[in-house]
Amino acid sequence: MAHLIELKDVYKIYGEGLESEVRALDGVSLSIDQGEFVAVVGQSGSGKSTMMNVLGCLDIPTRGDYWLNGTDVRELTDKELSRIRNREIGFIFQQYNLIQSLTVLENVELPLIYQGINADDRYDMALEALERVGLAGRVKHKPTEMSGGQQQRVAIARAIATKPHIIMADEPTGALDSHTGREVLSFLQQLNKEGTTVILITHDNGIAATARHLVRLQDGKIVENHGQEVDWL
Amino acid sequence: MAWRSIMGKKGRSVLTMLGIIIGIAAVMTIVSAMNGYTVKTMEQYAAMGSNKISVEIYSWMYDEDGNSIGRDYFPDLYDYCNSLKEYVVGVTPEAYCGATVVYGTKSSANMQYNWDENGNLTGDVPPSVYYVSDQYSACSNLTLEKGRDLTRLDMERYNQVCVLGAQAARTFFGSANPVGKTMQFNGQSFDVVGVYAPRLTGENADNSRIDNFIVLPYTASRVLGGETPTSFIVKAKDGDALVEATSRIGGFLKGLVDTSTGGYNVWSDEQWQQSMNEQMGMISLVLGGIAAISLLVGGIGIMNIMLVTVTERTREIGIRRAIGAQRSSIVAQFLIEAAMLCGIGGVVGIGLGTVGSYIVGRLMFQMTIYPAPWITACAFSLSVALGIIFGIYPAAKAAKLQPVEALRAE
Repeated sequence: MAHLIELKDVYKIYGEGLESEVRALDGVSLSIDQGEFVAVVGQSGSGKSTMMNVLGCLDIPTRGDYWLNGTDVRELTDKELSRIRNREIGFIFQQYNLIQSLTVLENVELPLIYQGINADDRYDMALEALERVGLAGRVKHKPTEMSGGQQQRVAIARAIATKPHIIMADEPTGALDSHTGREVLSFLQQLNKEGTTVILITHDNGIAATARHLVRLQDGKIVENHGQEVDWL
Repeated sequence: MAWRSIMGKKGRSVLTMLGIIIGIAAVMTIVSAMNGYTVKTMEQYAAMGSNKISVEIYSWMYDEDGNSIGRDYFPDLYDYCNSLKEYVVGVTPEAYCGATVVYGTKSSANMQYNWDENGNLTGDVPPSVYYVSDQYSACSNLTLEKGRDLTRLDMERYNQVCVLGAQAARTFFGSANPVGKTMQFNGQSFDVVGVYAPRLTGENADNSRIDNFIVLPYTASRVLGGETPTSFIVKAKDGDALVEATSRIGGFLKGLVDTSTGGYNVWSDEQWQQSMNEQMGMISLVLGGIAAISLLVGGIGIMNIMLVTVTERTREIGIRRAIGAQRSSIVAQFLIEAAMLCGIGGVVGIGLGTVGSYIVGRLMFQMTIYPAPWITACAFSLSVALGIIFGIYPAAKAAKLQPVEALRAE
């Protein structure tokens, strides 16, 4: 059976051929199946974020192949990549990346707007997502009026509003205190239980230990890639 | 969304719009003032009647006071035109008489042009006094309302009589019948023998005052002073007669006027209208061009501020791209914002331009000029188009960003 995600010998090289050349990804091969919970760990600068950008179709590898759901991503146009980011993938960033000038509700509605969903359905879907993260009562607030943990929950609501198959989270707990961090993490595990593939990038080995599939990067190379027994929270 | 982004930076948006506002207001003022002037002039011209031939016979001989001392060609022209009855309706001198007109307590010396707050002429306006022939009414589309018209005998006998235009009659006599009354022209008594019917009615008549005139037999210049008339109007029957009469009168004058001491011109009002239209077109073009430069500068201002906005919002663009915005959505977002910015500026500019053309119309042409709807529509479309034209580059720049690079921006 084909894998959901398959990277084959992928390189991301900045300033190739120069003396200052940086190999952010240096020949990475990896496959991820539907429904997995994958933790990608490594020191800062090991290439974790670059890998997520490549996996999330935000960045194009210098060399190598990437199949997503059987499609060769390198063949896709910008429009098709936008569509994949919009419908297949939900992103959660360390810095939340909410648009400050929009309200909580509008932020969550944004990906639905780009899907062309009409205003009524959009409102219902956004509200449903906000209810799941427990913020249905604060839809009119601006992100700046909320705590970091609440902002991250808004970002999660935005990521799940479109009901994507894959959630990619880049250090989602990095800016949060440990209690809120644990809440976010258990929420991701809950999503995974419901069938969503979760790719979690972290430098916290404790968090990584809760994932069934562990990928460790170092200097742009995969040095560890295996399944592991975990105790679900 | 674009609206909120504009309102979020009110000060900056207003300053940016200022260029467009001033540019649009300038273009509106110039185009509508010129247009209004042309339209109103043509309107009056049409009321005076078309198919007119202007004849000018002038002399290069002057007395020691600098007054032209040509001989009076009018009797010859009058007789010749009357021999062309199949082409010509009438002929008359067209000369101003500067005399002060007095009747009872009313004197033209105390009258002046006054406008109310709507830009309409109010009160008594000094009438124009013309030296004419008995065929003036035929040449100027006038019909008699009361009394009698001027006659050939009035000219030949130097009769001190006058006929009033409808507005002049109202100015001096109100609702009373002027016929039979005696008016003073520079102290000389003239009997009112008739009143013409008004040619224009309503607000246009009030403002143009084309019926605010008094005519005297041109031979009255003997007692009131003034030069021998040099300008004459010949009214032709129709368009074909106009062409024929123009060339015949030209031929007649060629044999009549001594070209060693003077000269003559004959031209029809079609030619005059055409040259006036051309002139107004040229003036509009030059002034409009200057105003267009200010619009260009305004447009560059818009482009500049949109580039700043794109740079400031790079991260937002990255976020939008990450959650699925296509390039076209980003382009649309910034284009709409630029177009809206310019559109608001355009609306304000149109408002100012309306006020501007009103003021210019009153100060320069003594007319009430409001921009024609097509000018307003063009001005608005122009401002939105400017927004789109000058928004394209910044919007394209925003859309070209790679999502991952845009996300990295602070």
